[in-house]
Amino acid sequence: MERSEIQHRVQKVVSSVLKIDSKEIAPQSNFVFDLGADSMKSVELIAGFEEEFNIEMDEDRAREVQTVAGAVDFIATYVQ
Amino acid sequence: MSDPEDRAQARLEPIFAPRSVAVVGTTRIPGTVPFDIFQNILKDNFQGTIYPVSPKERSIAGVKAYKYVLDIPDPVDLAVIVFPSSVVNLAMEQCGKKGIKGAIIISAGFREVGPAGVRREEEIKRIAASYGISFIGPNCLGVINTDPSVHLNASFARRMPKEGNIGFMSQSGALCTAVLDYAHAKNIGFSKFISFGNKADVSDIDLMMYLKDDPATKVILVYLEELTDGTRFVRAARRIIRETGKPVLVLKSGRTREGASAAASHTGSLAASDEVVDAALHQAGVIRCQTVEELFNNAIALAYQPLPKGRRVAIVTNAGGPGVLTTDAAIQEKLELARFSESTRETFRKSLPVTANIMNPVDVIGDARADRYRVALGSALDDDNVDGALVILTPQSMTDIDLIAEEVCNVANRSPKPTYTSFMGETDVASGIDILQRRNIPHYILPESMCRAFARANDFLRERDRPEIPPVHFQDVHPAVAQKILSAAAAAGRAYLTQSDAMAVLGAYGLPVLPGRLASSPEDAAVAATQIGFPVAMKVESDDIVHKFDIKGVLLDIVSPEQAKEAYRTIVANAHAAQPRANIRGVFVQQMAGRGEEVILGLKRDEAFGPVLMFGLGGIFVEIFRDVSFRLAPVPANMVRDMMHEVRSYGMLTGARGRTPRDTGALEVCLQRLSQLAVECPQISELDINPLIVRNEGEGCSVADARIHV
Repeated sequence: MERSEIQHRVQKVVSSVLKIDSKEIAPQSNFVFDLGADSMKSVELIAGFEEEFNIEMDEDRAREVQTVAGAVDFIATYVQ
Repeated sequence: MSDPEDRAQARLEPIFAPRSVAVVGTTRIPGTVPFDIFQNILKDNFQGTIYPVSPKERSIAGVKAYKYVLDIPDPVDLAVIVFPSSVVNLAMEQCGKKGIKGAIIISAGFREVGPAGVRREEEIKRIAASYGISFIGPNCLGVINTDPSVHLNASFARRMPKEGNIGFMSQSGALCTAVLDYAHAKNIGFSKFISFGNKADVSDIDLMMYLKDDPATKVILVYLEELTDGTRFVRAARRIIRETGKPVLVLKSGRTREGASAAASHTGSLAASDEVVDAALHQAGVIRCQTVEELFNNAIALAYQPLPKGRRVAIVTNAGGPGVLTTDAAIQEKLELARFSESTRETFRKSLPVTANIMNPVDVIGDARADRYRVALGSALDDDNVDGALVILTPQSMTDIDLIAEEVCNVANRSPKPTYTSFMGETDVASGIDILQRRNIPHYILPESMCRAFARANDFLRERDRPEIPPVHFQDVHPAVAQKILSAAAAAGRAYLTQSDAMAVLGAYGLPVLPGRLASSPEDAAVAATQIGFPVAMKVESDDIVHKFDIKGVLLDIVSPEQAKEAYRTIVANAHAAQPRANIRGVFVQQMAGRGEEVILGLKRDEAFGPVLMFGLGGIFVEIFRDVSFRLAPVPANMVRDMMHEVRSYGMLTGARGRTPRDTGALEVCLQRLSQLAVECPQISELDINPLIVRNEGEGCSVADARIHV
């Protein structure tokens, strides 16, 4: 899968879970600091990524991911 | 160069008296810390401007929110950061760019969670330092300032306390909430209320120094779980007490944690970390409390009433039994029952019923109303022989509790002397107690607590006003001799000095050592003993043997060369039998010390407090009796004698029960010399002089045995 596709689909999930416009989601956006994700939403994001990409992620490592670009990189290790 | 502690006021002003506050990371969800803190600032009538900062929300509780702190158009004095720990660094960076100089980091997840948290904490410290931001926390409840011109509740406590003159600071946020609730029930007010959490930047000492110069704070209360820089803490407390007269009260947890090293020396085993903390705080004039209740029992006495200039109390009661109980408690606390003047007794005779007791306690009888309390209390306080009054009330059917409470307050507040009260009971006296508390008259559930608080208040006054005389500095010492020996031991990788070296180090500082040397064979022992002069004592020399007596490694009163040879063989055999693996260097042959009382002098270098001196009645049972006292070195000259007197069995040295008084003057000089040695020889980690033989008055002391651990 191309990285650009991963990025697009990640942004889609983030927009849906956090209920914010995709235009406000930049690669360097921090989930907590810039996008306002709390601990509950973080869990929903992980579940959303798993469903979107049909993968099962290491939850502990997934929780350490802080930014959108970081999420793209992390998911890429599963789908590429 | 000014002491950094002197800059506390300037550094902390943005935190305690901000004109504007940004709550960074707040949310809309009630019942969460980020929301509740914002709500507290808002509802508790903060006098400045408040800016919520939230990545998602456009407003919080009807107040316009900003996505980033950098979006706020106006200057901001204080940032209260409530983001999760993972992004506090980002928040701090923005606060720095914004020019914010004060922050409170509420977020947990730092040093207290382990290595990852430590790294996060170091990073925010670095960011804060680069921008000149002072911050409290992280991992704290927040800060409250009740000053009406600020009225800031930047915390997630349930309530804002009432304004008062007690400054409270705590390392535990949870304890803060309990204390606030307790204080609310007792109508206790605070000037500042501070939870300081991990103290990653602003320390407990910085906060104490801030409260030192805070005009709204009269008494400083501190709850601590650890004392990392004990020496600085003690110095700061001493400065506060000396320069402002403000009492400092400390409740420190962790009393039962073992901190002693049992193997190295008697002193090491006796100077467990909490005994050292006790000694250090006492030496600084700090009032150490055992419980939260005791903390506030003392605080209200010190905050609300004048300090009692003496220990003569007048007890005013409407019941005989409680009067007797109070008398017992007063005597227990070493208070005195004042002897009323004839004119005071005459006033009582004229104004009180014939059945009233006009001696002390003044019993105004069970049917007393407010007028009798007014006369009794007023006359007692006016009596020159009285330093303070203790008022007891029991709720009889005719007792007008509220009126009596008001009258007690009226009379007490007109007097320059302190009045404390104990309205005994709970339900019927509740409204009266409320009146006393609201009008700042200290009230205690039990007479015992009342008497204890009175005694502590007078203790504090005496401690505060005691002049501090610098430690004696002896000129007739040879530090270079000691340093040479200690350096040689370090170079050789030795953990202990030999007896000869230990005696030489002590001798270099003028301590009265006895002639002696190490013998390496029975024949050498005989020669040594002859040279020194009989009688001699002989002791096994080994780094591995601490308790020489226990293993029969000491023989005394050797009077001939043949005995010396035999003693050598016996001592070595006993040592081998008891500790086959011990490395035995030989046997130390020493002049006998002569008769006298055995005391122990010790030194231990404490991690938090530096060199600590110990004194006690010595001998082999010192660790069983534990009758010892401690002081931090250098010991002020007028504290050495206190150290000696503190030991319960000290009377054995001063001629109790017909014993000849010992040379306590010489003993005092030994302690002063040891204090100087402790400061000038930082290589020494532990030292025992056990025993120091104190002979009769005028005959001096001798070091009979010493052990120095480097």
